[in-house]
Amino acid sequence: MVIRFALAKGRVARKAIELLIELGYIFEDYSEKSRKLIFTDTTGTIEFFLVKSPDVPIYVEKGAADIGIVGKDVLLEHPAQVYEMLNLNIGRCKMCVAGFKDRPISFGKKLVVGTKYPVIAKNYFHTKGQLVDIIKINGSVELAPLIGLSDCIVDIVESGNTLKENGLTVLEEICEISSRLIVNQVSLKTKHELIDPIIKAFEKQL
Amino acid sequence: MLFNYTIDGFENVQHQDYFSHQKITRKLMSLYRTYGYHQISTPTFETYDLYVHEDSIPSDDLFKLVNHQGKVLVLKPDATLPITRMAAMNHPSSDEIIKYCYQTNIYRNFSAPEMVKKEINQIGIEYFGNNSPECDGEVIALAILSLLENGIADVHIDLGHVGFINYLFDDLALSPQERQTLFRYIENKNIGDIAAYLEQLELATDKKELILKLPTLYGQPQTVLKEMRSLCVNQKMEWVVEQIAEIYQHLEVIGLAQYVIFDLGFTNQMNYYTDINFKGYINNCGEPVISGGRYNDLSEKFGIPRPACGFAIDLLKVIDYMEEENLLPLDNQPRTVICYTAPDKAAAYHAAQNLRAQAAIAEVFIIKNSWAEQLQALQKNQLYQNANVYFLSDGQFFAEHDKKFLPVDSPELESEVN
Repeated sequence: MVIRFALAKGRVARKAIELLIELGYIFEDYSEKSRKLIFTDTTGTIEFFLVKSPDVPIYVEKGAADIGIVGKDVLLEHPAQVYEMLNLNIGRCKMCVAGFKDRPISFGKKLVVGTKYPVIAKNYFHTKGQLVDIIKINGSVELAPLIGLSDCIVDIVESGNTLKENGLTVLEEICEISSRLIVNQVSLKTKHELIDPIIKAFEKQL
Repeated sequence: MLFNYTIDGFENVQHQDYFSHQKITRKLMSLYRTYGYHQISTPTFETYDLYVHEDSIPSDDLFKLVNHQGKVLVLKPDATLPITRMAAMNHPSSDEIIKYCYQTNIYRNFSAPEMVKKEINQIGIEYFGNNSPECDGEVIALAILSLLENGIADVHIDLGHVGFINYLFDDLALSPQERQTLFRYIENKNIGDIAAYLEQLELATDKKELILKLPTLYGQPQTVLKEMRSLCVNQKMEWVVEQIAEIYQHLEVIGLAQYVIFDLGFTNQMNYYTDINFKGYINNCGEPVISGGRYNDLSEKFGIPRPACGFAIDLLKVIDYMEEENLLPLDNQPRTVICYTAPDKAAAYHAAQNLRAQAAIAEVFIIKNSWAEQLQALQKNQLYQNANVYFLSDGQFFAEHDKKFLPVDSPELESEVN
């Protein structure tokens, strides 16, 4: 039996692979430039593949992967029926509302929000009871308030440098984000003997 | 013209799938029948009122419509509620034993994602009027047998009891909001976030440690039972342990215990279960295919307090799995096709009728083109892949052999020929 990992492309995957290597698994054919889609370790017990981060929860929910490593932002935006077993504390950042410093969010007036995370943005403003129009943008979210597309943005902020360079600032913090280890609900039970040691090993690395 | 006329979430069933579907349904229904269950059916439409106070099904997930009297109806989103009501209406005496089985479509208007099936085919049983561990054991046994009977060997039942967590939480003064948040984290086995959340709560340290252990209460039944016994803080929790241990013993007696593992991380946040609940898994199939449990409070809503236990199988998920594993019963009964020229019509229909009388499949067509063309047209058609084609001319049957049409005896059942 093989345990399959779905990893979100990017820095999270790099750190997750480092963790796997530290745990003693050897991936001979892996390099960052490799065009292979699936990598297997030398003992043949672990496989991983890289996918776009929003796809990780669905791969794990449907059982195409047993374990996934993905940011909390993705899990909030695309909720899935999975076990969210470990907070890996890598890729730490914050989900924030950002905008111009001299134009704070006014209550009682409809707000236009540009974001890659429409679900998170909607839930946040609805709990606050604030009226919003949400515009889904796929990248360079900081551009939206600069050219008048939106009043503010909801996005993840790590260092805050991109915001600063564009004259924007964090107005409100929504929640903390970090990478999570998620497990398929059936695999955890049916492949318990294989998955349990892996989770324990990850837990020790924290 | 109607082009691209499909609705997201609904689909046609192809003939091979339908054939396997019918075969599996018949097999399961006769299995339940041998255990004394009666097959019943409830209407496709239900009143909206039946579901409006039911937390297990979000109102947004219901397909609603209005009838000519202005009454709001829904497409049946669940089988258990209508069957419980039916049992309450037909059997007003609370201590009667009623065993029902059913096969039905249910409808859920899932908002996202679009490709999720909204028409779900369920097969299941409901056992009313028996509150014993033997009743729970029978329901779990039938869930396991339903899969085993269809050749699926790698079956797992994940057995839990919502009482264990509920009776613990009853002892802690938690607000409904806190309870809900903790339930959600426990169901997701999200230990990291539970720990962070517990830090904000004013609870004794030993209680916090206890809550942190709940998501890890799963695995081999004997190990989990031991762990559970050490965690009990009140008599009700001890009662839960005894209940679940008795059910496990029952399953050992009837020889099905090896399929069962425990998971005490189930809550009844999104369902009506009051005691045990369980999920059925197949190895390498990423989603549960069976869901069931005991719901002792539901019947009281229809005026008759009555314990009950049951399960439902998501049949199309099982069929998908069986298809991948080549376990599906296939429709490969040979069929006979008789093509005739006009003067031989009577003889052709007579020969076909003879075959049908022996339960064989026989079809008759008039010859419009040359024999070779007619044969080619049939062979191109997927539905006639396993057809034996005969040509009838001047009272003589012919069949193709190496591109030549040779005279043969009149068509007979293959089993008789061999």
